[in-house]
Amino acid sequence: MQGPLIDTLARRGVTRRTFLKYCATLASMMALPPSVGRAMAEAMAAAKRPSVIWLPFQECTGCTESITRSHSPTIEGMIFDMVSLDYQETLMAAAGHQAEEARHAAMKENHGKYLLIVDGSIPLGIDGAYSCIGGRSNLDILKEAAEGAAAIVAMGSCASFGGIPKANPNPTGAVSVSDIVKDKPIVNIPGCPPIPVVMTGVLAHYLTFGSLPELDAQGRPKAFFGETIHDRCYRRPFYDQGKFAKTFDDEGARQGWCLFELGCKGPVTHNACATVKWNGGTSWPVESGHGCIGCSEPDFWDGGGFYKALSVPADPLKIGAAAAVAGAAAGVAVSFANRAKKKAAKAAHETTTLDDLEK
Amino acid sequence: MSLDAIPIHLIPPGEPGLTGNAPPLLHELLEMVNRLLASGETAAIDLSALPLTPADLDWLRERLGEGEIAVTLLANGESTLAETGCPGIWWVTHHNEQGVVTSQFLEVAFVPELVKAHPDDVALGRDHLESMMADL
Repeated sequence: MQGPLIDTLARRGVTRRTFLKYCATLASMMALPPSVGRAMAEAMAAAKRPSVIWLPFQECTGCTESITRSHSPTIEGMIFDMVSLDYQETLMAAAGHQAEEARHAAMKENHGKYLLIVDGSIPLGIDGAYSCIGGRSNLDILKEAAEGAAAIVAMGSCASFGGIPKANPNPTGAVSVSDIVKDKPIVNIPGCPPIPVVMTGVLAHYLTFGSLPELDAQGRPKAFFGETIHDRCYRRPFYDQGKFAKTFDDEGARQGWCLFELGCKGPVTHNACATVKWNGGTSWPVESGHGCIGCSEPDFWDGGGFYKALSVPADPLKIGAAAAVAGAAAGVAVSFANRAKKKAAKAAHETTTLDDLEK
Repeated sequence: MSLDAIPIHLIPPGEPGLTGNAPPLLHELLEMVNRLLASGETAAIDLSALPLTPADLDWLRERLGEGEIAVTLLANGESTLAETGCPGIWWVTHHNEQGVVTSQFLEVAFVPELVKAHPDDVALGRDHLESMMADL
């Protein structure tokens, strides 16, 4: 479909006022002045849809699920109306050589102008053989697609930081997009999965201003990742009062006290879950009674156990390179030891506790 | 040295839940209304972007009062655009389809932007009217 976005929207039954209202809310969420909401609406309504190429690498498709199955389909689903999605393996009808041809055609036609979205990490082990599409390694495909891209969006923790594939002992040698591409603007939208509205916000900013929004040191949009979960948590007053749940079923847990001692990673995790929430604003992990696992931070899987309390004010998520290598070796040894222990426990009909698993 | 020598006096917290962040907004509104009268320039304050408690919002709502007109917009959830007791200041609340407040603004304008019909939409309306009349 060609022509300005507002016509496309009108055909889908989205009125101009609905769109204005959405842009006002989006600008508010991105901490932009109210006048920007209107500017966004005007710019986006008139915008010709940019070509987007979406490459999936070592991923679980959870990021795609998060975006496409978000609760208000008419609005968050608009991402697919705002852009001309020229390649997305999971969603496109074409397959095989036809799909690859579509990508090449879009890359050639929009060279230097298309937006590249990547989800999943890129394995470097055995010359990238761990993950191939159409007989070519992810590394090869990424380099080719990045060359002609105007900007790159690393969607989810795997593309942003390596994510779960990169977790110790990182058998495939997984790395992030920014480990490979050094000469293009890259915005990281981490999260496992990422919050849909962050994606829409970045796109809206790109269409309105022709640039990526302001980013933090980790390459994340400041508007959504500027504060920690802990800073915006509604349970924060209990932390300040020293009221903590000690187990998941004690009186404190029932009273909705702070989950810090149960391993909540909110204090070191930058994301917008506490304000934007999930499933159309229904709830979010801490509101559902479970601590934050820190999924939008680098190396969150190796943070030392989801149920181990953070020691304040240390930052266990920042591990030096040398420590990470030592940690990888130790991780293998520990996992073997745990496996042996589990086997022994099973044989002796002992129960394995949480502490055993985390030793 | 006793603490009394330091010329700082603790102000006991007032009504529960009030942060004291609401009163300065009235000054900002006054400035905006002056600009609207002088040059027709419209402006808005994003209430969800400010550290305001529900009690602060109630305080503000009470001070500004209720006006004569309130517009309800049904578009992807309900929105209300209600004139306050000070004409030209509108309290705009957007809800999503689940009824959750998604954003809240104080808009200073003769008519809020969302209420006006866009010329392109008016043109579409005219086309519809014409085709309807042709079928009569």
